[in-house]
Amino acid sequence: MTTPYLRIRNLTKRFGDFTALDDVSIDIHQGEFVCFLGPSGCGKTTLLRAISGLDIQTHGTVEQDGRDISALPPAQRDFGIVFQSYALFQNLTVARNIAYGLENRKQPKAAIRQRVQELLELIGLPDSGNKYPSQLSGGQQQRVALARALAVSPGLLLLDEPLSALDAKVRVYLRDEIKALQRRLGITTIMITHDQEEAISMADRIVVMRAGKIEQVGTPLEIYHQPASLFVAEFIGAMNLLPALLVQQGEIQLGQARLACKVNGFAPGTAVQAAVRPEDVVCTGRTNGHANSFHAEVQDLEFMGPFFWLSLGGGELGEHRLRAQLPSQQARELNLHPRDSTHFHIPAEHIRLFPDGYPHG
Amino acid sequence: MGIPMADTVVMTAPRVRPRLGRDEWLMGGGLLALALYLAVTLLVPLVIMLAKSVQDREGAFVGLSNFAHYFTNPALSGAIGNSLWVSVLATLIVIALAFGYAYALTRGCIPFKGFFRLVAMAPLLAPSLLSAIALIYLFGNQGALKDWLFGESIYGPIGIVMGSVFWTFPHALIILITALSTADARLYEASESLGASRWRTFTTVTLPGARYGLISATFVVFTLVITDFGVPKVIGGQFNMLATDIYKQVVGQQNFQMGAVVSLVLLLPAVVAFFVERWAQTRQSSAVSSRAVPYRPKPRSARDLVLLGLVSVVAAMILGILGMAAFASLAKLWPYNLSLTLSHYDFSAADGGSWASYGNSIRLALYTAFFGSMIVFAGAYLVEKARVAQPLRTATHLLALIPMAVPGMVLGLAYIFFFNAPGNPLNFLYGSMAILVLATIAHFYTVSHLTALTALKQLDPEFESVSASLKTPFYRTLWRVTTPMCLPAILDIAIYFFINAMTTVSAVVFLYSPNTTLASVAVLNMDDAGDTAPAAAMAMLIVLTAGAVRLLHTALSHWLHRRTQGWRRGG
Repeated sequence: MTTPYLRIRNLTKRFGDFTALDDVSIDIHQGEFVCFLGPSGCGKTTLLRAISGLDIQTHGTVEQDGRDISALPPAQRDFGIVFQSYALFQNLTVARNIAYGLENRKQPKAAIRQRVQELLELIGLPDSGNKYPSQLSGGQQQRVALARALAVSPGLLLLDEPLSALDAKVRVYLRDEIKALQRRLGITTIMITHDQEEAISMADRIVVMRAGKIEQVGTPLEIYHQPASLFVAEFIGAMNLLPALLVQQGEIQLGQARLACKVNGFAPGTAVQAAVRPEDVVCTGRTNGHANSFHAEVQDLEFMGPFFWLSLGGGELGEHRLRAQLPSQQARELNLHPRDSTHFHIPAEHIRLFPDGYPHG
Repeated sequence: MGIPMADTVVMTAPRVRPRLGRDEWLMGGGLLALALYLAVTLLVPLVIMLAKSVQDREGAFVGLSNFAHYFTNPALSGAIGNSLWVSVLATLIVIALAFGYAYALTRGCIPFKGFFRLVAMAPLLAPSLLSAIALIYLFGNQGALKDWLFGESIYGPIGIVMGSVFWTFPHALIILITALSTADARLYEASESLGASRWRTFTTVTLPGARYGLISATFVVFTLVITDFGVPKVIGGQFNMLATDIYKQVVGQQNFQMGAVVSLVLLLPAVVAFFVERWAQTRQSSAVSSRAVPYRPKPRSARDLVLLGLVSVVAAMILGILGMAAFASLAKLWPYNLSLTLSHYDFSAADGGSWASYGNSIRLALYTAFFGSMIVFAGAYLVEKARVAQPLRTATHLLALIPMAVPGMVLGLAYIFFFNAPGNPLNFLYGSMAILVLATIAHFYTVSHLTALTALKQLDPEFESVSASLKTPFYRTLWRVTTPMCLPAILDIAIYFFINAMTTVSAVVFLYSPNTTLASVAVLNMDDAGDTAPAAAMAMLIVLTAGAVRLLHTALSHWLHRRTQGWRRGG
């Protein structure tokens, strides 16, 4: 494996008695798009500000492209940054904003003008150079901020919740645009977000953080399908968590139902939390033709457009409540109604077990 | 337990020592320079004055004997009670009037609101002495309305209270207008829909909403009155007040140690008021949520008629006092020959003032406005935006807040002690224009500092981060982005310095020299020498100058706004 572009080792940041970042280490490779994901206060912003030098860590090292930058002020590092608030200079035109970092490098005026025009075209605003930021929409302003950061061709692009201030539609559109731009330029990028959907759709790898520590690092698929902890399982996507009992290796008891599953490291007789994604609960109809299935009553049906939310209970589930996602087309075929009793199947590989109780207290 | 393990790991890792780049060195250096500047022009003089209060005339340490002498001498300590009750009374009257006035302007539907607001702000343009002089013309021994006092004399507490009410009124009004105009209409709708009476709505919604404004205004006015020197000096007669006592001890009896003692006594209520006011300010600003719906008053004829009556009476009194001063400066020989003349504006015959004093005042005001706004803005920038030396930033900010709690008389006396000390290398400043500029900047530092901070806090906090990431030195962004965006606030600060430098008496009265006499001090001295009409003329000159500059400021702000509306949101 090649040496990482960004090597972060044992980063700790303390504010008085509060530890915002607790012994964090990660490697980020050249050209990668990495998302730091977590709830507010998890330390993702602190980590980004340590990487940029805006708030230098208390302990630990940061190496970028083989250079130790741990203690350098931001001006001596190599990065471009985009903030949630855009932080565009309101009194300068769009073109002057984009040229801001170039003007300091004693380049000829014509070269600067040409580079600015290139960038304006890159962000799809070729005619907006003479406008002021306040004359643009939020999404356009954020694209200008991106162009300003990219103008000086930094080795590392830092995005601090760049989409959080935008409308839902603009957000989805800009999400794809940023991702495409990043691929095209091949620039190593770190984005902070608390929006798991954003992280899953954009990142090559996701770093899930909680309480100043890294909970899991992995591709979106790994994070989604193989959550390393109950926290990740709950934080990413929708998840059913059901108290169950491991009756023997490879089998749990859930209410009266016995279900096969993959087990690692639990002794038989242990109380566990079984995690099942709603879309992995498959409705097999009124007759039981599947292994690993149980019957339960549909207590509620909620139409969501492309799918229904089903609330299941009773039958073999007993007191347990399970939410399932059923494609609308299938629901039509089955002609499901509330109070219907029917059979459900959960593939063994989609049942994950976690220790009872929240991880790490 | 896993915790000791984690600790060991951290203990072995070396602590990161952030390296400083050019920006960081420059900002740190700037902060240090600013802290030193504030220390020299503020903190050190005050500390030396503290020391003087426990020394005798020869400079030997005498413990608290000066204080003992002060408190056992009723002729001296009687001023404490006098100052307190006069200030409390004046404050109560001002707050009651200003609240009614502010209520009429914000919650009433009365005509000519702009005019009434303008009239109420007029006293800000005048030195506090002006009201006292006008009151003497109205109610003095030869006063036009002498009978209205039923034989009581205007020279004394009555005059001090009346004069103080006049010049502190706009200060209270500004705060109360702000407090009352941030009402949330939804609360009024809720109260109305619940069937509450108007009085109940007033006591349960309006008053609580304005309570921090009321507290803040109360303490601001109290401090202004108790520390004011001009009004009691002119109209106080034999009535002793703390601020005039300092002057008497220092200028009259050359007893600097006792002056220091009285200063400390005066400092105490001012400091208490300062802390209460700061507390109320922070509460007020956090009380309004961003989702509030602005309140729009609806006409109610009975209420509006009462409010219109109130504002008309108050405005008439303000105009009456200003008009009286103007007339006094123009009447040939009050009250015997009332034909108009400009001869009082030729100060050559008067004792204690001249056109040169006026010229000096203009120079002082210009220097103070120019250097003051530069120092204050650069200082506020470093306090707010520097990425380095957090403790130094906090210390500098606290230093910048001190002047609000320090009465001008006290600052002036502290300057004498510090700059006139024989061994001080800055001794050469003593008696110069520079020391007047330094004292005036220091005296009015806090409000300017807070204005600049407010403007800076409205800018995106990440401008500096972006600038650093683009390898642009911070001073370039300060010059090209931060300063242009804060220009209206900088202009406000400059005008605030200018007008206060024109009108102030208290700090500079100890510091002027024969070469640097000032217009405001000339009003005092001419009045003292019995040249009351020229004194009124000089006071009017100050009013006219301040008014003209205020007009210029309005025009300039307007022009600036139009020029920049391209990028200002909703311009």
